[in-house]
Amino acid sequence: MQPIIDAKDLVHEYSRRDEEGNVTGITRALDGVSMQVKQGDLIAVLGANGSGKSTFAKHLNALLTPTEGTLYVGGMECGDHTKDLDIRKTVGMVFQNPDNQIIANVVEEDVGFGPENIGVPTEEIWERVADALKTVGMYEYRLNSPNKLSGGQKQRVAIAGILAMKPKCIILDESTAMLDPGGRKAVIDTITRINKEENITVILITHYMEEVTGADYVYVMDSGKVVMEGMPRDIFARSDELEEFRLAVPEAVRVAMLLREKGIELPKDILDAGELVDAVMKLQA
Amino acid sequence: MIRDITIGQYYQGSSLIHRLDPRLKVVGVLVYLISLFCFRYVIGFLVAGLFFALVLHLSKVPFRYVIKGLKPILFLLIFTAALNLLWTPGETIWKFGILNLTREGIYKCIFMALRLILLIIGSSMLTLTTTPNQLTDAMEHLLGPLKRFGAPVHEVAMMMSIALRFIPILLEETDKIMKAQMSRGADFESGNLMHRLHNMIPLLVPLFISATRRANELAYAMDARCYNGGAGRTKMKPLKYNPRDYKGYAVLVLYVIVLILVTRTVAI
Repeated sequence: MQPIIDAKDLVHEYSRRDEEGNVTGITRALDGVSMQVKQGDLIAVLGANGSGKSTFAKHLNALLTPTEGTLYVGGMECGDHTKDLDIRKTVGMVFQNPDNQIIANVVEEDVGFGPENIGVPTEEIWERVADALKTVGMYEYRLNSPNKLSGGQKQRVAIAGILAMKPKCIILDESTAMLDPGGRKAVIDTITRINKEENITVILITHYMEEVTGADYVYVMDSGKVVMEGMPRDIFARSDELEEFRLAVPEAVRVAMLLREKGIELPKDILDAGELVDAVMKLQA
Repeated sequence: MIRDITIGQYYQGSSLIHRLDPRLKVVGVLVYLISLFCFRYVIGFLVAGLFFALVLHLSKVPFRYVIKGLKPILFLLIFTAALNLLWTPGETIWKFGILNLTREGIYKCIFMALRLILLIIGSSMLTLTTTPNQLTDAMEHLLGPLKRFGAPVHEVAMMMSIALRFIPILLEETDKIMKAQMSRGADFESGNLMHRLHNMIPLLVPLFISATRRANELAYAMDARCYNGGAGRTKMKPLKYNPRDYKGYAVLVLYVIVLILVTRTVAI
């Protein structure tokens, strides 16, 4: 099957210019990134600030074009701007700041903004808006003003706005970074459910390791390169390397690691508090 | 205090006024605003005031909420009233130095103040009962004919609606920056005008930077959601006149006729 996202040796350079417009320096935000994503997968891209993960995300949505390398999204090549709208219909993007991506003053009108733009007939817009809001559990707020919602609720509205466009893939570009733990959990639960139930590919871009435990595959980025990739369990087992890339392993994984250092025999692939408790209980027995 | 500004804010509701076609409301407000400047007798204010009261009653927006919208222009109001009161030439009642209280001045002052008040609270009724998106749609429709001459009607309407959407966000941010700067010793309340303006710099610079950043992010978000200008767009809530809207137009015409009749016949 054709992968939904197929990136090969992607390079993106920002050039800095002085007042006369001469190029004074070039920053390589992406440096040879290759990635293949199957339809229906939940992929996590981890990285500290400035690792290039957001730049990469903007390529997938044709908001930026690669300096070098090739990128196919849903079989369409990004590069010339002829396919931009089709690419954006295929891949939806949820951004970091909930306030800066909500356009309308009423929740349902905001969710309808995307479908309006792609020319969906009126009756179908209403159906899609209702479905999308029910999926993220925000249907009863459809007549509210977004200003009165919490951060997590706003992000769920933003996700509904993308869902209503019926994309094949949703990218969350650090969409949980500005939320409190409760809001973060609500967003992650929602997106995981959408991935399972609607078979929509999800690309989760984050620097919170806790959020990637449910992912099918994890990429770790640093200085514009993919430095690690694998299943979440395998990635967490390499905690020393992760710390090198300024990423903190989840609390449970850390505790297990420290216990192992003390000579207590625990398995290396513990992911969360539940598994840690089970493993410790087994030790007792 | 800065969050008290109600101009451009939407008051959620489902009253008759809320459900009226936004085109009717825009035309209504325009007619009402123009009408305020078309009479010379105090009785006219009574008619306009009653009309406003009727709309207010039907809209179920609390009167106190509407009045709050006057707060930011209170200074302007007092200033113009005082100017008119004390510097209008005519039949002198009381004189002190250059201050000259005249009969005409008192009239003018009352007129000016009533006009301004009715103007502000009247136009705020439009934004209080109409969502920015509806407002944009109405503008786009009403100005539609200008598209033929190449005017960017859709784009301007879109810009307006986004500006309205960001008013509360930017106000909140101003409040936040103000508090942050005050906690670090900034002073926005003392000194003369020049001094105060100078003190505003640490407030305005971060506000501008953040507004630019927001604009950039919003542009990305709109792009990501396939926004591509007005062409090929459909509407979630297309504008369609209902019987109640025609009745609304009838009421509006009635108001104008009553106003003309009353101000022509009763000369108070």
